[in-house]
Amino acid sequence: MWRTSWTVALMFILSWTTRAAPSSAKQSPKITELLVEPAELILRAQDEGMRVLVTGTTPAGDRLDLTSSAQFVPAESIVKVESDQYLYPVRQGETQVTVTAGGKQAQFTVRVGDLSKPPQISFIRDVEPVLNKVGCTAGTCHGSAKGKNGFKLSLRGYDPEFDYEALLYDMSGRRFNRADPARSLMLAKPTQQVAHGGGLRVELGSRYYNTLLHWISAGVPFGNPTTDRVDKLEVLPKEVFMHGPDQSQQVIALAHYSDGTVRDVTREANISSNIPEIADVDAAARVKGERKGEAALLVRYEGKFVSVPITMLNPNAGFVWNRLPQYNYVDELIDAKLKRLKILPTPTVDDAEFLRRVSLDISGVQPTPEELRAFIADKTDSRTKRSRTIEQLLSQPEYVDHWTLKWGDLLQVSRRYLSDKGMWEFRDWIRDSIAQNKPYDKFVRELLTARGSSFENPAANFFRVTRNPKVSMEKTTQLFLGVRMVCTQCHDHPFEKWTQNQYYEMVAFFGSIGLKPGFQSGDEIVYDKRDDNEIKHPKTGRVVEPKFLVASLSAPPIPTKDRREALVDWLTSKENPFFARAIANRLWSYFLGRGIIEPVDDIRASNPAVNEALLEALTKDLTDHDFDLKHLMRVIVSSRAYQAGIHANEWNGDDKVNFSHAMPRRLSAEELMDAISLAAGHRPKFPEVPPETKAEEFPDPHVGKDGFLDVFGRPARESSCECERRSDISLPQALNLVNGRTIADAIADPKGRVAKLILAGASDRAIVEELYLASLSRAPTAKEYDAAMTFLRPGASRAAWAQDLLWSLVNSKAFLYNR
Amino acid sequence: MLTIPGRKGCLCDGPTRRELLRAGSVGLFGLNLANFFQWQKAQGASRLDGAHGFGSAKSVILIFLQGGPSHLDIWDPKPEAPTSIRGEFKAIPTNVPGIQLSETMPMLAQQMDKCALIRSMSYTPTGLFNHTAAIYQMLTGYPPDKVSPSGQLEPPSPADFPTAGSHISKLKPPTEPVLPFVEMPRPLQESGVIGKGGAAGFLGKAYDPYRLYQDPNKPIKLDDLTLRKDVSPDRLKDRFTMLKGINGSMPDLEKALKDYAIDEYYGKAFDLVLSGKAREAFDLTKESDKVRERYGRTTFGQGLLLSRRLIEAGTRFVQMNWPAVANGNPEVDAWDTHAANFGPLKNLHCPILDRGVSALLEDMTQRGMFKDTLLVTVGEFGRSPRLGVSTSGNTNSPDGRDHWPYCYTALVAGIGMQAGRVYGSSDQTGSAPKEKPVHPNDLLATVYYSLGIDPDMTVLNHLNQPRELVKGKPVLELW
Repeated sequence: MWRTSWTVALMFILSWTTRAAPSSAKQSPKITELLVEPAELILRAQDEGMRVLVTGTTPAGDRLDLTSSAQFVPAESIVKVESDQYLYPVRQGETQVTVTAGGKQAQFTVRVGDLSKPPQISFIRDVEPVLNKVGCTAGTCHGSAKGKNGFKLSLRGYDPEFDYEALLYDMSGRRFNRADPARSLMLAKPTQQVAHGGGLRVELGSRYYNTLLHWISAGVPFGNPTTDRVDKLEVLPKEVFMHGPDQSQQVIALAHYSDGTVRDVTREANISSNIPEIADVDAAARVKGERKGEAALLVRYEGKFVSVPITMLNPNAGFVWNRLPQYNYVDELIDAKLKRLKILPTPTVDDAEFLRRVSLDISGVQPTPEELRAFIADKTDSRTKRSRTIEQLLSQPEYVDHWTLKWGDLLQVSRRYLSDKGMWEFRDWIRDSIAQNKPYDKFVRELLTARGSSFENPAANFFRVTRNPKVSMEKTTQLFLGVRMVCTQCHDHPFEKWTQNQYYEMVAFFGSIGLKPGFQSGDEIVYDKRDDNEIKHPKTGRVVEPKFLVASLSAPPIPTKDRREALVDWLTSKENPFFARAIANRLWSYFLGRGIIEPVDDIRASNPAVNEALLEALTKDLTDHDFDLKHLMRVIVSSRAYQAGIHANEWNGDDKVNFSHAMPRRLSAEELMDAISLAAGHRPKFPEVPPETKAEEFPDPHVGKDGFLDVFGRPARESSCECERRSDISLPQALNLVNGRTIADAIADPKGRVAKLILAGASDRAIVEELYLASLSRAPTAKEYDAAMTFLRPGASRAAWAQDLLWSLVNSKAFLYNR
Repeated sequence: MLTIPGRKGCLCDGPTRRELLRAGSVGLFGLNLANFFQWQKAQGASRLDGAHGFGSAKSVILIFLQGGPSHLDIWDPKPEAPTSIRGEFKAIPTNVPGIQLSETMPMLAQQMDKCALIRSMSYTPTGLFNHTAAIYQMLTGYPPDKVSPSGQLEPPSPADFPTAGSHISKLKPPTEPVLPFVEMPRPLQESGVIGKGGAAGFLGKAYDPYRLYQDPNKPIKLDDLTLRKDVSPDRLKDRFTMLKGINGSMPDLEKALKDYAIDEYYGKAFDLVLSGKAREAFDLTKESDKVRERYGRTTFGQGLLLSRRLIEAGTRFVQMNWPAVANGNPEVDAWDTHAANFGPLKNLHCPILDRGVSALLEDMTQRGMFKDTLLVTVGEFGRSPRLGVSTSGNTNSPDGRDHWPYCYTALVAGIGMQAGRVYGSSDQTGSAPKEKPVHPNDLLATVYYSLGIDPDMTVLNHLNQPRELVKGKPVLELW
C-alpha cells in the first residue's frame, strides 16, 4: 500500500515537472565538433560515386546528423560534388575536401585512381546488384520459383552463376546484340522499348542503364567469383540514436571486397526498417523518426546482411529516473536499458497477485483459496516468502505436469505419429526427465542419439515424428538452436547468411537414421543405415559432406559413422552460440510473455535481441549452471522485472518489449480448463484418461479433440513451432464461454463448489469471498461485495445467484488472463 | 498470423519484408478485431478501390458440387459430338437465345437470363488425380502436395491452406451478430478423408466454418446458439451486468487489454445467443410452404433456402456442399459417376439440382439480393467427355465418366456480373477450353476481388512464412 501511494505521488511530481519544463526540442543546438565518416574516400572509376556522413557533437555530448545540410568544397578539382552529395572523380590525384555544417568545418581526403584503367566490369559485382535493385530477381518477377514468361532468375540473385547462364544461354543467346549493344533485348525489355510484362524497370540513359550497356559492350564478362563477391557489408552509422521523432539520420552502405576495395552501395542496397511506425527509411537512405521506441534498420546487399539498431527517445522533457529495488542481475540489465530509453519500470505486484502469476507460470494451475489464505496470512517478509513459494512450486508434481505438456508440444508427442503405446512411453520419458531435472544438454543428447525400439528407448520417438533427414534437421535446428533453416532448402536465405549448401551439409548429419518396424505392433526401431545414407545436393547431384552450421574451435573432426554423436557434441557444447541462448530465450518468453528475441524460434542477425546484455547474461548463467533449467527459471521469477505489475505509468505505457511492466497473457487452453475446474470444483470427464485428470496432464491432443481445448488454441502438435499454440480471442471462444458446456456444467455441478457452499449454509459474505478467491485468487473489495449482493434479489434462489456470480467471475478478464 | 494487403508479394521475398514485419509487430499481441480494423484503416485504401467490380459483393453463396458433376450432361451439352461423347441426353433451348443446356436442367433453362456460365474452367493437377486433391485445390487455391504428400490419405491439418470462407470471414468479418461462415449440410469427403480443404488450417480454428452438419429438410437443432433451459434471457442479462461490473473494477487490466476487443467478442456472443437472429435464420418454418416446395423438399433444396436466409441475416459466406459423396453406389445421388452416369443423373441428381438452383436464382432475384450477393456453383472438376475410359486410374463402366479437371463449367450470378451469357467456351467435345480458360485460382481470385479483398495480398502461414492469398487473376470480364 505504501509503495502504491508513493508511486502515485511520484507520478504527480513527474507530470508536474513535464508541464513546467520549457520546450527546447526545436532550438538548433550549438555544435562543438564535426565528425566525417569515412575519413577517406578512394574512387577508381568515372561512374563510381561515394559519399560521407557528417555528424555534429553538441555540448551535451549528443550526436546530430548534419549530412543533409552539409556543404562540400574540394581544394582541387580532382572530384566534383553532385546535388545528391555524391562525390565523383574528375582526374587522378588526391585532394582535401572541406565540409561546412552547423557552423563548423572539417576536412577529409579523397584519392582518385587512374581513370583510364578502371576495374573490369563484371556480372557478379556490377550487373547482378542492378538486377536485384530494379526487381528483376524479385519473387514476384523472374525470381519466382517458375520464373516469369519463360525467363527464370535466382531469387534475389543469390545464384549469379545460374542467372548469368540464364541470360546468356536461354533463347540461344538472343538477349544480347553484340553488334549493337544498345539494341539488346536485355536493355529493350526493362526500358520497355519492347513489351515487358514487368513494366518499366530501367530508365533510358540512367545510371543502371549505363551499367548494363557498358557490360554488354564489354562482352558480358562474368567476373571473378572470388574477388568480385562482397566480402563484408558495412553500414554507417553503427547505431541510430535519435532524441525525438523530428530528427533524421542518413545512413550509408559500403561493400568491402577481398582485394581491399570499398564501394558505396547505398543506392543499390535494400534498406528497410523492421518497424516503420517507429522509424522509417526513405529512398535516399535517410532514417526518419516517427515515434519513440526501438526498431532495427535492415540493410541487405548481395547476400550480405547488416542490422543497425535504431533508438528513438521519448521527446518529452521531465524524465527522472527512479531506481527500484534490484532483486538480481536481471533487474540491473533491464533497468540499464530502461534508463537509457527514458522508460520508468512499474513496481511489483502484491502478494496475492504474485501467487497467482507464479503458480500459473511454474505449475500451470491457480492457487487454491486455502493456499492463498495461508500465503497472505504468513507474516514473513514478502521477498522471503515469495522465494519460499518459488522453491515449493518448482518441486511440486504440477510443475512436472506443466513442463511435460510444454515439451510434449515441442517434441510433438501424439498417438498420430507414435501409436498409443509409443505416445505414452515418450510422454513418460519426458515426465521422468523433467521430474529429475535432467540437465538440458543431456536431455537433448538422449533425444538426438537415441537408437533401438521406441518402446524400450522412448527418446527414439523423436525421429519417429520427423521421419526423414530434412525434416529431422529442420526440427533440430529450429527447436534446439532457434534457427529456421526451412527457407534454405530451396534457395539461400533471403534475410540471413544461411545458404542452401549449409542446409544440405546439416541434413547430412541425419542421413543415416533409419526406421524399421519393431517387434510389437505400433513400435518402430531407430537404427543407423549402412547404405543409402548419403545426402545429395539437389542442384549438383553430388554427395554432401556434413558440416556444422557454425564452425566451432573445439569440435572434433566429423567421423563417417556416428555422425549424430559428433553433431550432438557440437550442438550441446557450451560454446555453441545458439544452443544455450535459444533455450534461455525460450524459457524467458514463457514467464514474461515474449522472448528477448521474438519469435523465440527465429534467431537471426536480422531479428536482434531487444536486450542483448540480458540474453547474454541469462545464457551464461545457464551454461555456468550446467544447463540446469530450474535454476534459470528461479532466477527469472525471482527478478523484480518478472514480478512487476501490469499498471503502466506515464513513461512506460508505450513500451511493449523492454519488460518495464507486465503484459497480461491469456491462460492457455489447458490452464483455462483447469482454472475453471478449480474455481467451480468440477472436473469434466474424458474417456481416454482417468476421472479427475487435469487438462495439463493430458498426454496428447487426441484427448478432448475438437472441444473446448482446441477452440482455445491447444496445438495439434503438427510442428515444433512455438507459434502453433494460439492465445488470441475469437468469437467461437466467446460463444463457448458464454453459452458452452464447459462453464455451464462446471458451475451447476450438484457436487461443485457453489452447491457445497449452499449446502453447508455458508453466509452470503462467505460465498462471495470464497468464489472470488477460487477464481480471481483474491478477496473481493467492499465495493465488489456490495455489487455482488445487489443481484441477490429477495425470494430468489441463492444457488442461482451464486452460480451467476461464479459465471461472471470465470468470464471476467481477470480470470481469463495471467496478469 | 496476420494478412498483408497491398503490394504484390511472393514467397520468401524482399519487397514485402516491411509489411510483414509491420504485421508481425501487431501479431505479437495476438490478432484481434479492434487493432486489426485499426490496422486495416491505417493501411488506407486498397490499390484496387474503385476498380471495376472490386468490392461489389458483401456476401457469397458457394454451392459446392463435390464429386465432380458431368459438365456435358448438365451445363455444356455437345449435341454435335459422337454418341460416345454426347451421351444419352439432348440439348434444350433456354430463355436466352443461343444458350443451350442439357435436357436434365429444364427449370434452370427458364432462369438462364439471371446467371452466367463459365464453360472454360480448367486446370491440370499436379500430383494426385483424386477428389480430395481437387477439392483442396479448388477451395484453398493451392495443390495439396506441400501439405499432404500422399494427397488422399492425409486428414485435415492445422498446416493446411485455409479454405476460402475462412480467409473471407477473417478479412471481412460480418457486422451483424451472426455466424460469419456457415458450411452445410455435410463435410467434404472422399472415403475416409473428411473435411480436407474445408477448414481454416493455418488461420486457426477460430476461423473454421460453423459446421451445420444436419439435414435442413428436418428440424435443425442449435444447442450452442440456444440458451440453456436453466438460463433465462433475464438471467443471462444479469450475468452480463455482473460481469461488466467485475471487469470495470480493474481499470489497469481493462487498459492493458483494450486492444484485444474482448468486450466486442463477448457482445457478439451475447447478441448471438440472445437476439436469436442467427437462430431464427435457421428456422425454415418461417418460410411459406410454397417457397419451400419451390426449392424442393430435399436436403439440397432446403439447404439452399437456408443459405439464402443466412445471407439475409448477415452471414458473409455460406458453403452448401452437395449432400451425397461417392461410395460407388449408383442409387445414391453422388456426382462421382464412374458407372451409370445417365439414369441416376436424369432421375436422381439433376432434378434436385435443377429445382434447387433455379429456385434460388428466381427467389434471390425477386428479393433483390443479387445486388450484393455473389452466387457460385461449381464442383472440383468435370467428367471425361469420352464414356467408359479411365483417366484417373479408376475403373469405369461403359456408361460411366471419369474425373476431368481439364475442362468443366461453373455457374455465377449476381453483383452486377453480366447475366444471360456464357463466358469462355469449350472445344467440340468439351475436353479443353477453346477460349478464355479460367483456372480455379482465377475463380477464387474473382470471389476475393468481388468482396473487396486484393487477391494479390500475402498471408502468413502457421510458421509465419509469407504465402500468396491465391495465385490467380480475377476474371474482370465477368462484370
